[in-house]
Amino acid sequence: MLARQTQHKALQWLGRQLFNREDPAAFFDPLLEQLNPMWVQQYTPAQIKQVINETADTKTLVLKPAKQWAGFYAGQHVNICTEIDGVRYDRTFSLSSSPALWRNQGLITLTIKRLPGGLVTNWIHDHLDTDAVIGLGEAFGEFRLPEIPRPVLFIAGGSGITPILSMLETMAADDYRAPVTLLYYVRTSRDIIAQEKLEALASRYSALTLNVIATHDTDKPRFLKEQDLQSVPGLKAREVYMCGPGGLMDLAESQLEAQGLKAEHIHKTFFAAPGVALDSDSVGGIVQFTGSELEVSSEGDANILEIAEAAGLSPRHGCRMGICHQCSCRKTSGTVVNRLTGKTSGPGEENIQLCVSVPQGPVSVDI
Amino acid sequence: MIKMNEQQLAELESDLNAIRDEVLADRGERDAKYIRRIVRLHRTLEIGGRVMMPFGFIPPVFVAATTALGLSKIIENMEIGHNVMHGQYDWMNDPSLHSQTYEWDTVCTSDSWRRTHNYEHHTYTNVIGKDRDYGYAVLRLSDDVKWHPGHLLQFINYILLTVLFQWGVGVHELESERLRRREITWKSKLPFLKEFARKGGRQAFKDYVFFPLITFPVAPIVLAGNIGANLIRNLWSSTVIFCGHFTQDAETFTEQECENESKGHWYLRQLTGSSNFTGGKWIHLLSGHLSYQIEHHVFPDLPAHRYPEISEKVQAVCRKHGIHYNTGSFARQYGTVLKRIMAYSLPDRVRQRLTSPEPAQAI
Repeated sequence: MLARQTQHKALQWLGRQLFNREDPAAFFDPLLEQLNPMWVQQYTPAQIKQVINETADTKTLVLKPAKQWAGFYAGQHVNICTEIDGVRYDRTFSLSSSPALWRNQGLITLTIKRLPGGLVTNWIHDHLDTDAVIGLGEAFGEFRLPEIPRPVLFIAGGSGITPILSMLETMAADDYRAPVTLLYYVRTSRDIIAQEKLEALASRYSALTLNVIATHDTDKPRFLKEQDLQSVPGLKAREVYMCGPGGLMDLAESQLEAQGLKAEHIHKTFFAAPGVALDSDSVGGIVQFTGSELEVSSEGDANILEIAEAAGLSPRHGCRMGICHQCSCRKTSGTVVNRLTGKTSGPGEENIQLCVSVPQGPVSVDI
Repeated sequence: MIKMNEQQLAELESDLNAIRDEVLADRGERDAKYIRRIVRLHRTLEIGGRVMMPFGFIPPVFVAATTALGLSKIIENMEIGHNVMHGQYDWMNDPSLHSQTYEWDTVCTSDSWRRTHNYEHHTYTNVIGKDRDYGYAVLRLSDDVKWHPGHLLQFINYILLTVLFQWGVGVHELESERLRRREITWKSKLPFLKEFARKGGRQAFKDYVFFPLITFPVAPIVLAGNIGANLIRNLWSSTVIFCGHFTQDAETFTEQECENESKGHWYLRQLTGSSNFTGGKWIHLLSGHLSYQIEHHVFPDLPAHRYPEISEKVQAVCRKHGIHYNTGSFARQYGTVLKRIMAYSLPDRVRQRLTSPEPAQAI
């Protein structure tokens, strides 16, 4: 699931010969796990060292990954794996700490907000405690700081602050010499995540301008306004990084473009599946699961993972929002629409992510 | 097979679906814990067997090592491999226990097994001409196949099949009988043969080359022990599988009977074409719970350790619909399998005279 692909070719060969698997070390995992959960080889185990309450519905987990973990760049995210009632779940979270903390103390942090009705985030809040061990994947993601310092504007909404916290910590530690502004939108002033840390950063790192805006402190909601952006000096020259709810990011993006910023200088990362509105008449079709000799027809914008599950299959899967690629599999024919991008695939053979692929006409997948 | 009308079949279907739904609703941590415990048992036995084997020059150690390795292969093939590949644990979302990627410790490739066993055998169970598992195209087990003198020797064939079972299962998809009849060409089987050679070579390399070589001074002992362990597994798993469908009362079906059949009819065929045997907890574990072959055929993708728990309910459904629930002690069921193999090796006339019904008892 959070498979490590660092194994040597020769080891892989021997693994196939002796254990019928590519990752021979994982053959011993069931026993190693009993002895010490931190010795597991299939994924990187990470032990919870501390749990910090940030707000009423947000916690920060301080984790110590096992030695084999390869580290990360500020702004990247990781998949974590937890087991709930016998079922493994993968979810993707941004790392909220700086790479320096990992290098110096071997620690990383994840800042996780309860999603109303969310199985995994609520379980993490209610059941995960110090000393528990979870699975960790390698860091990934292109939401990264420019290599040469340029003026930067961060726009964060709610728990979308997490990757930006990591970036700010890194910039402060490296003494990043260019103006840095953070526009941080929260629901009410009680919902500010990592308030103390942000204030401490602002006071010791003079390049940083902090602007926290509560949208629901008064009766009348106060969303992102043109003047929020206009108050940022030298806006046009800034590299913009956004993370937050889809509504905020769409609003910010259109206003930034109206101010003359080019799309290549606007970087976004999602923390919830963004739904491209699909015309439900043009999607759906007969899906053939060739490996299972099964054919089902689907109407509307159900993705192939949902279609397979409704047909009684259980394909491997992870985040269900197009991030982790656990559910990638071979499409042998047919056209699918990608939910994330709204783009239509070619008709031929290719790998697709089941959880964001909606069939458009007949599709064959190798499941 | 008893005749049931469509309404009765629909009722049978909903009765069995209710049992299935009950298990699905309860499926969770207990099942995950169970299969992980079995995986740990397998790893312990395999590692223990392999570590002890070089010390096999001490006779009791040789026996212990061979037994441990044999048991590990049995558990891996029967309770883990076979069941995982049926998708019994797919819901756990654990890549090591997923039906589509699991590769088991035997010659047959998992891909070939999923095609011949999961699809052909479980869909067309005991349909003569469609279920190639019925007699493995080597044995004549019903009068649907015309007798010829070659069948006189089929007990020898049976012995060979059971001793070399993993190789027999491995080449099953070759469809040698159809190649002989020139219905298919060797060329069409090339991709299969390549895969077979790769997996078979791998299994032989591991047990008969690699482990003997790295323990060079005692190589003959390790080789003998590994051959012994494979033999134990072959004998046991073939016996379990034969007891599942070839017992006296296990029924066979024709292709016409099954054309456009309903799910209820499929259920009925699974119930009447399969047979159980009784025994202790260990017998069930070592047979991968195929001792509950009936339950397995009705619900191939429910975690197998649940079969003993639902057996009573399945029996109740059978009683309600007047369907024979075929079970008996291991010795009795195996006895009827051997009898069947012997009986159908004889020309029909001789067989009928020998096995004609016992004279009616005096009232």
